[in-house]
Amino acid sequence: MDFNLPGEDDPRRREIRAWLEANPSPTYRQLAERGWTAPNWPAPWGLSAGPELVVMLDEELERAGIRHPHQLNAIALNQCGQSLLTWGTEEQRQRFLPPALACEERWCMLFSEPSGGSDLGNLRTTARRVGDDYVINGQKIWNSHADISQIGVIIVRTDSAVPKHKGLSVFILDMKTPGVTVRPIVDMSGEVNEYNEVFLEDVRVPAAHRLGQEGDGWRIVVEQLQTERQGMTMPGAVWGSGPTARELLDGLIRTGRIKNPLIRDDAAKLFIEGELLRLLTYRHLSNKINGKPAGVEGNLGKMIASPHGQRLSDLAKRSQGAAGMVKNRDVLPLPDKHYGLFDNWDYAYWFSPAATLGVGTQEILKNTVAERILGLPRDLDPTAATPFNQINRPQVAPARLAAER
Amino acid sequence: MNFTLSDDHLELRDAAQTFLDKEVDLRPLLVPGATATDAGYDTLWRKIAELGWPSLIVPETYGGLGMSYIDLAMVVGEMGRTLAPCPFFGTLAGTWAILRAGSEDQRARLLGRVAGGEAKLALALTSMDGAIGESVAATADGSNHRLTGTAWYVVDAAAADQIVVAARLDGRLKFFVVEAKAAGVAIALLDWRDITRQVGTVTLTGALGELLTGSDDQTWPWVRDRLYLTLAAESAAGTRVVLDDAVTYAKERMAFGRPLGAFQAIKHQLAELAGQAECATAAVHYAAWALTEDDARAPLAAAMAQSYASDAYRDATYRNVQVFGAIGFTWEMKNHLYYKRARCNAELLGPPAQQREEVIQLLERQAA
Repeated sequence: MDFNLPGEDDPRRREIRAWLEANPSPTYRQLAERGWTAPNWPAPWGLSAGPELVVMLDEELERAGIRHPHQLNAIALNQCGQSLLTWGTEEQRQRFLPPALACEERWCMLFSEPSGGSDLGNLRTTARRVGDDYVINGQKIWNSHADISQIGVIIVRTDSAVPKHKGLSVFILDMKTPGVTVRPIVDMSGEVNEYNEVFLEDVRVPAAHRLGQEGDGWRIVVEQLQTERQGMTMPGAVWGSGPTARELLDGLIRTGRIKNPLIRDDAAKLFIEGELLRLLTYRHLSNKINGKPAGVEGNLGKMIASPHGQRLSDLAKRSQGAAGMVKNRDVLPLPDKHYGLFDNWDYAYWFSPAATLGVGTQEILKNTVAERILGLPRDLDPTAATPFNQINRPQVAPARLAAER
Repeated sequence: MNFTLSDDHLELRDAAQTFLDKEVDLRPLLVPGATATDAGYDTLWRKIAELGWPSLIVPETYGGLGMSYIDLAMVVGEMGRTLAPCPFFGTLAGTWAILRAGSEDQRARLLGRVAGGEAKLALALTSMDGAIGESVAATADGSNHRLTGTAWYVVDAAAADQIVVAARLDGRLKFFVVEAKAAGVAIALLDWRDITRQVGTVTLTGALGELLTGSDDQTWPWVRDRLYLTLAAESAAGTRVVLDDAVTYAKERMAFGRPLGAFQAIKHQLAELAGQAECATAAVHYAAWALTEDDARAPLAAAMAQSYASDAYRDATYRNVQVFGAIGFTWEMKNHLYYKRARCNAELLGPPAQQREEVIQLLERQAA
């Protein structure tokens, strides 16, 4: 056991730092050529890096003021890209991975639908085989960065005559294909930031861009969701990203608000929980390097991390009282780091309800922990064994889009 | 970096588990009026002494095994999981006080007997209201010292051959060794709610005390960090076992035509406990590693572990009784033994909020 992270004098770190000093404004393509945008992937895409190298690369990119590729192109580099390594064809890998790793093509996920997000298996968007193509019709929602993405990973129903989880398939979709309409959503934070609705009307996608076989869709997206959850277990305020309890404590101490007895004990609780989340995440990395099973941290970690983040930004707000109810970026001082959207507590707080909704609600996550980790009985889904076309009528054209025409 | 237990640690834990599963029998405690003595408090210790566990933390120079705090956490965790009634905690506490504050000669003489399984120890610290080192006064008597006062909540006091006593000498906190059988030493058992332990008072009336000559202001914080680890290791393992028991029961017990565990109201509570159990275990491993390495973060890690594991254990034992329903509220079930161990562990060295205050103060000092 060794809880020390790789030190300042680690030769691998020194090599990374020297290169970044010699190349102060690298393009992501340059980083990708070094295998640094997905270091944990195998060659030729990455370096098969162990956890220490991954941690050092993260820290050194941050130190050089470069936004993490896995934050900039998260869907490609964290959630979905790895699926091409296991489920994709060589042709698909050669076409889609190089521009993804270079962050020249950004990716989005087209999973949730108005009919259900947590009950993803209930999705109604269909793909019908026509010659060498499939023709997609339906609607997706809550698609982060769909408005600026070139590539979408979409799950659709290719067979409605089998039970809901069996007739699903995954495609890699060029977002510029005719029939794809993207519309941003203003969420309750009041910002147009990353979410969109995506309407699909007679969208033709080549059969060669299907990932895996027809019917493999459910297994592929479950894998992707597990990977996505694992990425949300760090102790940041929003889905593991953003400022952590360390920054919160630092701010509370610097402003003297830590002396407030109504703040103090809660701050300590959050600090401790944040440190333990960090340990769980690192343990997950350690287990991977030692060839042991990945463990339970992904689902369990997100189950703890999401409400942790909510309480964190809530305490930042509480420490400020009514002044925190005025839109402002200065609730507490923050170090100059790259938190992307969440570079201030104000935004983190008003965004925070999303943390226990996205990637399956907190309730779904608790079901998953109880069933998969504790082995408690599965929840009843009376529709699980019935052919899909007998439980749901075919979806009509999206009403809002039709009305606008 | 490597946050994973080694195979050696896992083997040690498995060996302790096998031994304690065979030797610990809590059933005699499930009769009203029973005490730790009825559950083998003395006989179990003899077997444990044969295994050499009293010498785990005694350095090899004094005849011990000199094992690490990670090793210790493996063994203590299993003792916590089984609520093994025996004077292990007191002996550990006394050993650490002597290790930190004793002279070379004192360590060799006193700890050699502990390592050989010939002596059991206890650590007497606390006043009735929980203050450390306030209730016993020491005065010089030639080259000796005489101790007067009462220490409360002394774990394993009645079993101890020697008691290490925290006392004020000229306004400073010092540690003394008292022979349990000596004149002026009176030990009385308290009606401690956790009947898997034996806890008492130690009343001293001019009793002869041998000053541990290395006693200083850092003795108690140093010992305290290790006692935090010990209790936290018990609590984390206890959290896990009462969760497992509740899960097993929820799979078997039927209500409204379904197993209890099929209801989300039950499932979700148990899922939350699974999260707390993982965090508590991680906190214990981190603290054990930091103490083993003598890392600067050890005091922070120990206080974090004790506060977190205490709260987790309390939550888990409450939920465990709730999942079992009314049967879990009876004396004949063992649920209450864990419930009481959890509460007593959380108060013995000060409540979780106190350890959190220590965490904040450490952070404030770092920032200053």
